[in-house]
Amino acid sequence: MSLVTVKDLSYVYSPDTPFAKTAITDVNLSFEKGEMIGIIGHTGSGKSTLIQHLNGLIKPTSGQVLLDGKDIWAEPKKIREVRFRVGLVFQYPEYQLFADTAYEDIAFGPKNMGLPEEEIDRRVRATARMVGVTDEMLEKSPFDLSGGEKRRVAIAGVMAMEPEVLVLDEPTAGLDPAGRDRILSRIREYREQTGATVLLVSHSMEDTAKIAEKVLVMNEGRVFRFGSVEEVYSQPEELSAIGLNVPQVTRIFVGLRQNGLPVPGGVYTVEQAKDALLPLLRKGGGADA
Amino acid sequence: MNNMENIIELKDVCFEYYEEDQNKTAILEHFSLNIQKGSFTAVLGHNGSGKSTLAKLLNGLNKPVSGQVLVEGMDTADEKKEMDIRRKVGMVFQNPDNQLVATIVEEDVAFGPENLGLAPDEIRRRVDEALKAVRMYDYREHAPHKLSGGQKQRVAIAGIIAMEPDCIVLDEPTAMLDPRGRAEVMETIHRLNREKGITIVLITHYMDEAASADRVVVMDTGRIVLDGTPKEVFSQVETIKAVGLDVPQPTELVYELKKAGIDLPDGIISTEECVAALTGALREE
Repeated sequence: MSLVTVKDLSYVYSPDTPFAKTAITDVNLSFEKGEMIGIIGHTGSGKSTLIQHLNGLIKPTSGQVLLDGKDIWAEPKKIREVRFRVGLVFQYPEYQLFADTAYEDIAFGPKNMGLPEEEIDRRVRATARMVGVTDEMLEKSPFDLSGGEKRRVAIAGVMAMEPEVLVLDEPTAGLDPAGRDRILSRIREYREQTGATVLLVSHSMEDTAKIAEKVLVMNEGRVFRFGSVEEVYSQPEELSAIGLNVPQVTRIFVGLRQNGLPVPGGVYTVEQAKDALLPLLRKGGGADA
Repeated sequence: MNNMENIIELKDVCFEYYEEDQNKTAILEHFSLNIQKGSFTAVLGHNGSGKSTLAKLLNGLNKPVSGQVLVEGMDTADEKKEMDIRRKVGMVFQNPDNQLVATIVEEDVAFGPENLGLAPDEIRRRVDEALKAVRMYDYREHAPHKLSGGQKQRVAIAGIIAMEPDCIVLDEPTAMLDPRGRAEVMETIHRLNREKGITIVLITHYMDEAASADRVVVMDTGRIVLDGTPKEVFSQVETIKAVGLDVPQPTELVYELKKAGIDLPDGIISTEECVAALTGALREE
């Protein structure tokens, strides 16, 4: 049985009013334990609406979200428990920090779970370490931290609940390349240490290629593609056609194929491009010598 | 380049912040930079490299502790010139939601000109022209909060254009936008630079945006580490990586292949150039 199953899910904003707007239509998906899934799609494609269903922040207009095979809305009073099991990190989560110290901010979720003090302390310190928040930073007001540090504190606040499913909505938005790589590697580490399922919404197909194993492409409220990174990225033309920013190396390979050169498809990182090109470039002179 | 007129000159500027319970933190030390009239300059640097501090020095939002910032010859330390300087150099910030004040697009754009005390028909002319320049004229009677991020940023830019500035400084204007919004904003500022001759200073950490500028300045810990055309700057792959930045993917690919002993030309920054160079190299084989 899959950890998360989305069944015939549709959602309409402001139904039965002149402003009714269908956000997602007939979405069917399943996510296994421990998977790292990238979600891409341009603004308005339904990504955010979909992820807000996963921990019951919004209720389906029709269809179901199953966690361990059980409809999360079967007992609406227990939806809080679902929110502990499926952690959602919003865009720009640093705007939601509120406590006097970074420590208290991270402790907020575990406290709400009713955990004992020692366990709360253990979790706060463990997640802080995992995301690279030092003991000194824990004692500071979150507002005295830099933008990247605040972001990491906010993400730690969700990780400290040790959710089985961690959903992050553009966790790297607005960060510089070093900050971006740091956050992505912390997320990877969380997955490795906890065995959680991680869903990562991103506008960057480069980031998604670096970190995810499977990719979900949303378009106009529907599932456009869902498969391994190789499968999805092997069709750059159809991804460009729905307005996605295909990685530059992928476009270079499309260009080379259009020029009649026998280069492979499905290339989306510089590393892969180099490995694919070197044998071809060396065939003639250099390598034989 | 030498005989081109400078619109902004930073001469030996030092700047520092005071933090509570802490000693002052120097952000810029003996920093000098000239911005030429009509140019399109991108400033790259990681978070904390001093690039936002620099942006705010350019129109007097920050005042140097020592040294001088001259905008068309006017010293930003001269309080009597403050309004003139702000009119010459407009600023656009990262978050579009923090920059729009009115409930209707055209009223938002009119806010600046109204404060200048201009005649109503002059305000009308400027607002219409500014909205047309950013291609938002059809949305003039819309509510800003219902626009997309890219549209909001274009309205914020229109509000600056309505002040008829000579220079626009944009501090990571696309950081919070999706790819479509980013493309809209980049297309808009390039057009303003080309068609209206407005000098652009674009603070960014997107390498592809910097690659489209005339000049790229790379900052690290308050110093300039690289300064030149995009081709010159991005050919310094190792220096750029050492300061925590990336180079565009085509540049990185060519760099890696050259390192492996493949003969390819220098200065490749775009996808098209890379395809052409690789096609040539592969056909030779």
